[in-house]
Amino acid sequence: MAKASKNQTMDETGGRRSLLGEALVHLALVVATAAALYPVLWVMSLAFSSSQAPSARVLPWPEAPSLDQFRAVVGTHDAAGRWLFGRQLFNSLSVSIATAVVGVGIATPAAYALARFRFLGKERGVWLLMATQMFPGVATLVPLYLILQGLHLLDSRAGLVLVYATTSVPFCVMQLRSSFEAIPVDLEEAAMVDGASRFQAFRMVALPAARPAIAVTALFAFMGAWNEFILAATLMSRAESFTLPVALQRYVGEHGAAWGHFAAGALIVSIPVMAIFYLAQRHIVSGLTSGGVKG
Amino acid sequence: MKLRSALAALLAVMGALLVALVTRRADAARTLVVWHAYRDAEERALDKVLADFRAAHPDAVVESLAIPFDAYASKLEAAIPHGHGPDVFIDAHERLGDYRARGLVAPIDPALVDRAAFDASALEAVSLDGKPYALPLALKCLALYLRAPTWPEGKSPASLDELLNGPGVRLAYEASGAYTHAPLLHAFGGRILDDKGRYAFADGPAVDSLTWVAAAVSRGAIPEEASGALVTQMFSSGSPSGADAAISGPWLAADLPKGIAYRVVPIPPVRAGGPKPRPFLTVEGAMIAPKPRDAALAGEMLKFLVATPSALVRAREGRQVVASRDAWTDPSVANDPLLRGFAEAARDAMPMPTSAAMRAAWEPTSRAIQKVLRGDVAPRAAMDEAAHRYADVTRPLPRPADPRFPLLLLGLVGLFAAFRAVRAARDPVFRAEARASLPAYAYVTHAVIIVTLLVAVPLVIGAATSFFAGRAGSLSYVGLANYVEILTARGGPIFASGSFYAVLAVTILWTVCNVTLHLALGVALALLLARPALRLRGVYRVLLIVPWAVPSYVSALAWKGMFHRQLGAVNAILKAIGVEPVAWFSKFATAFAANVATNVWLGFPFMMVVTLGALAAIPREVLEAAEVDGATRWQRFWRVTFPLLRPTLAPSVVLGAVWTFNMFNVVFLVSGGEPDGRTEILVSEAYRWAFTRQAQYGYASAYAVLIFLLLVVTTRLIRAQKEAA
Amino acid sequence: MSACAAACMLRAPGMASVTIRQIRKTYPGTGLTILKGIDLEIPDGSLTVLVGPSGCGKSTLLRTLAGLERPDSGEIRIGDRDVTRLEPRDRDVAMVFQSYALYPHLTVRENLAFGLKLRGAPQSEIDARIAEVAPQLKLEAFLDRLPRALSGGQRQRVAMGRAIVRRPSLFLFDEPLSNLDAALRGEVRVEIRRLHDRLGATMVYVTHDQVEAMTLADQLVVLNGGVIEQAGPPLEVYARPKTRFVASFLGMPPMNFVDATLERVGSAVRARGKGLDVEVARARLPKADAPSEAGRAVVVGIRPQDVKTTDRAPAPVDLRFELVEGLGFESHVHGKLGEDGAPFVARLEGDEGRRIPKWGKLALEVAPADVHVFDRETGRALAE
Repeated sequence: MAKASKNQTMDETGGRRSLLGEALVHLALVVATAAALYPVLWVMSLAFSSSQAPSARVLPWPEAPSLDQFRAVVGTHDAAGRWLFGRQLFNSLSVSIATAVVGVGIATPAAYALARFRFLGKERGVWLLMATQMFPGVATLVPLYLILQGLHLLDSRAGLVLVYATTSVPFCVMQLRSSFEAIPVDLEEAAMVDGASRFQAFRMVALPAARPAIAVTALFAFMGAWNEFILAATLMSRAESFTLPVALQRYVGEHGAAWGHFAAGALIVSIPVMAIFYLAQRHIVSGLTSGGVKG
Repeated sequence: MKLRSALAALLAVMGALLVALVTRRADAARTLVVWHAYRDAEERALDKVLADFRAAHPDAVVESLAIPFDAYASKLEAAIPHGHGPDVFIDAHERLGDYRARGLVAPIDPALVDRAAFDASALEAVSLDGKPYALPLALKCLALYLRAPTWPEGKSPASLDELLNGPGVRLAYEASGAYTHAPLLHAFGGRILDDKGRYAFADGPAVDSLTWVAAAVSRGAIPEEASGALVTQMFSSGSPSGADAAISGPWLAADLPKGIAYRVVPIPPVRAGGPKPRPFLTVEGAMIAPKPRDAALAGEMLKFLVATPSALVRAREGRQVVASRDAWTDPSVANDPLLRGFAEAARDAMPMPTSAAMRAAWEPTSRAIQKVLRGDVAPRAAMDEAAHRYADVTRPLPRPADPRFPLLLLGLVGLFAAFRAVRAARDPVFRAEARASLPAYAYVTHAVIIVTLLVAVPLVIGAATSFFAGRAGSLSYVGLANYVEILTARGGPIFASGSFYAVLAVTILWTVCNVTLHLALGVALALLLARPALRLRGVYRVLLIVPWAVPSYVSALAWKGMFHRQLGAVNAILKAIGVEPVAWFSKFATAFAANVATNVWLGFPFMMVVTLGALAAIPREVLEAAEVDGATRWQRFWRVTFPLLRPTLAPSVVLGAVWTFNMFNVVFLVSGGEPDGRTEILVSEAYRWAFTRQAQYGYASAYAVLIFLLLVVTTRLIRAQKEAA
Repeated sequence: MSACAAACMLRAPGMASVTIRQIRKTYPGTGLTILKGIDLEIPDGSLTVLVGPSGCGKSTLLRTLAGLERPDSGEIRIGDRDVTRLEPRDRDVAMVFQSYALYPHLTVRENLAFGLKLRGAPQSEIDARIAEVAPQLKLEAFLDRLPRALSGGQRQRVAMGRAIVRRPSLFLFDEPLSNLDAALRGEVRVEIRRLHDRLGATMVYVTHDQVEAMTLADQLVVLNGGVIEQAGPPLEVYARPKTRFVASFLGMPPMNFVDATLERVGSAVRARGKGLDVEVARARLPKADAPSEAGRAVVVGIRPQDVKTTDRAPAPVDLRFELVEGLGFESHVHGKLGEDGAPFVARLEGDEGRRIPKWGKLALEVAPADVHVFDRETGRALAE
């Protein structure tokens, strides 16, 4: 404690910080950042090198830099000469975007009702919703397959979207509920006094006010779909309907793996999410915790 | 306005997309679906053969699908019984027994089988009870790779002892796998299964072979903890940094860089003149599903695949050791050193048994070998444990129970529920409340329906499976037998490794470690990032959330690679700072630490971001008041900041704990349960029962239900305690 | 210093005059200079009020005293200690924040005990002090409640109590009443003054409210744009504002300002402008040589309550009004001087305002001593 006060640099206010303290803070952050990036750089070095096998090196720098791995991964064509990678990229994009839209679309009104209405079964419903998150997915894979078969949605992107979106609903509802609760109810009451119906108050006042949170929630739903491969590999049965993670998984085989291809594919899969994170970082912070602090 | 038009446009696009998604191609008159798990050259060769087939059958629609190896078997099992699977699929012969038991494969029409076209042994391998269930395509087995110039043409080691005699690493060889160990075991006269199909990895020859390998590893002639990647790397670099000989299968050739001169010969005897080490032979065959869409076309496809022209394509382009005799009369195949070497090796090889016992034997055997090579236990003790574990996995199914009692119970519960519903419907208070709830229901009904259908129903079916045992298709009701077995540790000691309680303890330790570190790291970094006037704040923040943006299976595999004994960056760093490299996955503590490091890396950004948001909500004046009141920075954090963060962080911590408890990816991919299954957590254990140990779905879902109950009860207790406080 | 800190902190308030010398503060990044060389003496046991418009630097000055901001240059002494470089915790000060800054996770009792606990005071001492302070602030009934269960007034009292139990040598108040409603504000204001008189402690109080400033202060310090415009006893500052800014800031309705020229008429000096011809008292002019001021362009300041109606013609102050605000006990008459002169507000006593029409002309006069004269360029009062 005595030590803490010696080199004290105030975190709350300006004008009272020591250079040493500042340097230590940056040192800590640089170390943390390096640790956060190191595995990614490692994957990157593998993706940009020309060999398929990793080799023991401290610095994550490609041995013989080349774009061969990317060329091989991006240039995947099927037997009929169709550009398989392009199709799979399109699948991934369309399925993930649709998942985000459908998932949030389903979750938003429900979250709003939980935040604003009192109704029979509310407490129990919320509890059940939470509980579904605790059941390991291992045991639900086969039943899910059977249900989709019954709905004639096997091997269709619509089916995949439906499954992803529904799986994301519990998390989305929890997330959105607290953001709706953080919006002052006066806003909607004012709208209703001005002549809006209950639904219009939701659509025209609450919904726009919750936009950042909705965007962030949609981002998480998108990510969930974008990274998933077990369901996609099980439910889809044509190469041109696979998503990128499934294609990526193909580089890991029974005996050994094409690590270079895998790394290049992994980078391609990671980049869009990183880009979105970069663009939305401020909203992620506020969207995740809006309405978090109450009393 | 702008938003609305954008939304409208989005909806229109979505609608179009949905239409496009739903409309499926109508099935053509003659359709054939072929599945395989080939990659690279083999896939290209197969594609070429299929193209030729299409050219020969212009009226047929032939679809092929390459499936990730990991998903292959479970996908076949899910798809074929429901008519969504392939008509023809390519797989290893040793799975035939299992496939037949599950009704995934049909015997081949004898008219299609030209016995003279194949090696008798290959045909034998793909036959069950004398009936062929596949047409042999290619042979795969282990052989010895030799690099020139150390081993020039014509000079091969007469024995493994000769090969290993000398300085440095002599042989790149995955010593710790049951599959790779099998040739040695056979050379010493041992077997994994005896002639009657009983587990036989328990007697003198096994001790001899293990002792021999352990000695070779300990004197450095064979690398410790070798993986496929290491074998590739060592053989590609050659001596002195690598090795000039390797024991591996045809897949090694595909991964070698161009320009390396090497030959392939059968594995020599351990001692000159001794018995031949017979590797296991895998015959890849083309199989037919029980109800092909077009049986005739499927038959034609089978014939086409094995016909000489196709076999030549597969041999030349796919580098396959084809099973068609005729192809070997072609000089381009017969004189190919690689193919010839493997063909020669295959002649001595021992066809892999197709029995269920064989599949159950891999895991216990491999674990025993690993333990011995690590020096943890003496060979004999390891084998006793393996035998016990084997018995555990192959224990007989529980006796079917009488389903009448549970049905009665179910009926009573249903009746009671109906009774209560009727009574509630008469209760005026309830009716008023229900009426008042109607507007809210307009907002939730669609979500309730879809979540019930796609989340709750699979969950209930999955949970119900836990009362059954046996294979898909032949499930029998066994009551609580699965639970009883799990909770009594399958009759073994309660805390034996792999018992429910041991795994639960590891899971709890795993969850506590991870959540604590997530929280500590996340909060610490958030505090640093929240300092006002911090330079480069945006840069740090973006870079620090990168781990969150990377798919978890990618990160997990990357970390597994980084913890690799020889090729990993972690050991490279340790070496650079002068610390002995660590065999991360050979001890519980280090393997567990590797898992935790990976998962902490994956999860701290979430905590950091949540904390950043929560910090922003703490009024600055409160902290200043504490400062004026005399609090040091340390006291300010523990007495003000942290208590104020707690309510915001609590839900995220609970959610994080639930996620971590069920974090399958990391444990499965990083340590894979090593060493000896001791780092397994409940979820990965459930996964193993479902997918790698005889597809015991009922057993796996009993695990899932137990996990569920544990989590539900714990979170309820936490909440009750919070409400009481 | 810190070795004695813990011991010092628990002592009864001793000599705690505050000396501020040449304090400068520029915010990094913005380059905005918020304090431009502040010099101030705060006598021991006095209540000094810092007042000024928002952005004048009064809060920054207070936070500098607390140690929450570090000045770029200058010196702060509390008693005989140079505290300029000390952390807040080593300064023996207590502060009441505008938002009260109560610890939301601690009960009232724990809030009160917080500072003492940090300094390692024995539990018996803490209990004794809380037992002493709670009744003074009528907090006994709430001691075990959390802040969120309190009303605004109660919270405010907890915030004060938290400062009082510490027995610091210096109390700092940062607009402590601005979140209270008007009625409560008056009540608490009186309480604070009583508290000060009872404790005899040195207090520095920041407000933008002139009523608080006037009623509470022993010493009133008017800040504007990072400099002290004037410091002194409040009535003194009110009666003899040194600058046009101080004059305009104190008084309600605010002082009227009219451009005028000084002229010598006999032995007297008169200020003449549009609709204005008033005599200026000698005391309002430079002492040295008043006559030489003739012809000087000045701004004349007249407080609305210093005028009264007159029969004299021409009227010294010729108000053409168009709006009368009647408050019952007084009226405010709004208009212009002369045909198109400066805007002017007059305050008429009692029901005088009721007897005049809605608009028209009003002849007003003002005592020479009540005519403030400021330099038109610098805004400084001519009197020294």
